[in-house]
Amino acid sequence: MINPYEIGRRTLLAASTALLLASTAIVLPTGAAADEPVRGGVLRIATLGLDTADPHRHTGSIGVQQVYVEALTSIAPDGSAVPWLAESFDVSDDGLSYTFRIRDGVTFHNGDSLTAEEVRANFERVRQNVEGGWLASAMQFTETFEAPDDNTFVVTMNAPYAPFLNLISELWILSPNSPGWDETITQPIGTGPFTFGEWTPNVSLMAPAFEGYWDGDRPYLDAVEFDLHDGADQSLALRSGDLHIGRVSRDQLPMVEADGNIAIQNLKDTTWFFWSFNNRSPNPPLDNVRVREAITYALDKSAYMDFIAGEQGIVTNQMVIPGNFHFDEALHEGDAHAAPNLELARQILEEEGVDPSAVTLQVVSWQRPYAEVAVQMVRELGFEIEHAALDDLGAQQRLGQYDWDLAPMASGPRADVFLRFVRMMSDGPNPVLWGGVQDEEYDRLVSAAVAEADPERRRQHYLDAWQMVMDNYWTVVTGHAPTLFGVRNEVLGFEFGFTFGPHYAGGGLAHAWLAE
Amino acid sequence: MTTVLTVLWHLTRAATLIAGITILVFLLVRVVPGDVVDVLAIEGGLTDAQAEALRANLGLTVSWFDQFRAWCIGVLQGDFGESLRFRVPAADLLWHAIPVTLRLAAASLLLGFVLAVSVSLLATLRPQSVFVSLVDALNIWSISVPTFCAGLVGILVFSLWLGWLPVLGNFLVPVIILGVDAAGQIVKPLHEEMKELGTAAYVRTARAKGLHPLRIVIVHVLPAAAPVLLAMTGLIAASFIGGALTMEVLFGLPGVGSLAFNAINGRDYPLIQAVVLFLAVSVILINFATDLAHRLIDPRPER
Repeated sequence: MINPYEIGRRTLLAASTALLLASTAIVLPTGAAADEPVRGGVLRIATLGLDTADPHRHTGSIGVQQVYVEALTSIAPDGSAVPWLAESFDVSDDGLSYTFRIRDGVTFHNGDSLTAEEVRANFERVRQNVEGGWLASAMQFTETFEAPDDNTFVVTMNAPYAPFLNLISELWILSPNSPGWDETITQPIGTGPFTFGEWTPNVSLMAPAFEGYWDGDRPYLDAVEFDLHDGADQSLALRSGDLHIGRVSRDQLPMVEADGNIAIQNLKDTTWFFWSFNNRSPNPPLDNVRVREAITYALDKSAYMDFIAGEQGIVTNQMVIPGNFHFDEALHEGDAHAAPNLELARQILEEEGVDPSAVTLQVVSWQRPYAEVAVQMVRELGFEIEHAALDDLGAQQRLGQYDWDLAPMASGPRADVFLRFVRMMSDGPNPVLWGGVQDEEYDRLVSAAVAEADPERRRQHYLDAWQMVMDNYWTVVTGHAPTLFGVRNEVLGFEFGFTFGPHYAGGGLAHAWLAE
Repeated sequence: MTTVLTVLWHLTRAATLIAGITILVFLLVRVVPGDVVDVLAIEGGLTDAQAEALRANLGLTVSWFDQFRAWCIGVLQGDFGESLRFRVPAADLLWHAIPVTLRLAAASLLLGFVLAVSVSLLATLRPQSVFVSLVDALNIWSISVPTFCAGLVGILVFSLWLGWLPVLGNFLVPVIILGVDAAGQIVKPLHEEMKELGTAAYVRTARAKGLHPLRIVIVHVLPAAAPVLLAMTGLIAASFIGGALTMEVLFGLPGVGSLAFNAINGRDYPLIQAVVLFLAVSVILINFATDLAHRLIDPRPER
């Protein structure tokens, strides 16, 4: 368990760096990377599901389509946007013009060559036809799409929009000849190392290798088979060898590690854990920020994250981890809630005239054990608690009613930090987990960050917005934990990237092979 | 004439049942909180405005009556609608799941049938033998051991420890587990019936004539116990068609049970309705066939 408040800054940074490095070191047995890749074989993997054959219409986390469709940019393991189908890109100083140099020699799975005109058609399709998802929001900032020649694509914005390069890492470039292009694509024709083969929803996707892939002699595998079953225990299939790569929950970890044939990897971005107060329609006495502060003093972050993630838990008060560009060391060191302080909590409650035994708090959560830990911590102050632990949809519904007080929640990896800040904007997507914040000043700060071309000034706007979140006790971050996967030892050359995508620039399934 | 009227009565009753079930399910799935847009919104990619636009686009904002009328017209034309979540025809998903379920159900039922009849027969032939205990053991097993527990043990033993069978797509273990479970349900009432028939006058006469005990049990006792066998088998067959959900989930078998489960979780209305319609028709057909067979082998109910 890493407790940065006790072990200091250097150790904290070393530990978080070690977390990143360990995930890299684990996947490649000594000397394996230098070995000559072996061709052939079908790699079986289970990460997330696949809801639609139309890559432009996804609405959430995605962990399958990256193998058959690619984008102009890709998210590097450190979270930055790097060129992918674009060989390079330039952003004008005012942030209003993006010029992409389209890579030569890229062909679609139907044999057509990729040119800037196809790229333009994809951007137009997303802007005109897609109603939901991050991309639809990003497209509101675009003015024109131009393809002056086969290798140049220019996007002109109506206002600067800093997350653009990161967000278009999920704007997949497809052949306009893909069946269903005018409505819903049923057979995506992309440029990825594998093709969209046979898809059976909730069952499997068989993706055969694309022989004309543009990146050297890759891929090495004959095919990738995605297991798309909901609710199946992937750890058993991993141990039996039915799956080569699959998710592993924390409680399954000891048995999977003891197997001896499976290495543990994690996504480079983390899941952040937090508890939110009802900000849209707070009930007394929770409408008093001092009472929220008092309740937060009951939170033992170290114990909480230890319960969730054990030694891999990272305790902090921010939505990104140490080492991330947007992480602020001073803010971290100054966290007043680094350790619980029940005495101070009771003193504040007394000052505010709150008798905890006379207050029943409504706590809403998913059916996760850590929520009960949060409940027990708040009970220490003497509050009565009614805890509704609901399934995903039930919690979504209940949170949307804003008739509750406290929600211990978590949120997974995202392609850009803006996708975390946007949740607390007045018109943000699915704001219920963060208590439905509606605050003009917060909106202004995040909008200013988005519109700021200079990275340092943008970071400061984000930090100012985050300071507001902390000062108002809208949401209190407890820490971070990695998302874990088991990778069987016969899989070589494979490493997970920043998010769930199993194929990205410079890594992923195109680089993987199966040991003989 | 009586038979014709009976068949007509059964058909009318079946059609009424199917219509009733369909309407009930149509209403129930819409009463359950949340819809497919809420499911998609959980991932966090939809603002409130986008969610409302998607609802309208999927036809979820029109009245229930109009939704039901459109669905009925579609079904009568052979169109079961499109999955709201996957945007593919619901019928395609259903047709993919049905063979898996039929294969699992048929194999399990056959195993259960053969096992139950064999053990009952041997227990009747040898009343003081271990087979009588086996009847009780099978029966207690089916009552007390949940199939998912047996499934987990099966995975641990055959897939992880011995490494003989895969976890995903394993067909043998679920068939054995379901077959034994079915046998346990059939064997006890069948054996009790055969024991009682063993004291009947015509069986005493057969013994007095010097017929071989095996011939007496197979030719005279077992056919007389067939109505019990048929009734139990029909009930179990109907439950298997509904999908052995735990087996499907544990072993990654993409059958009707897991399809229905996922459709309900995802609030995929057209898919739920297609699955329920299939299940209703299947169960009614099985019951209908069981009734007819019952009348053929035992005409007494008609008298």
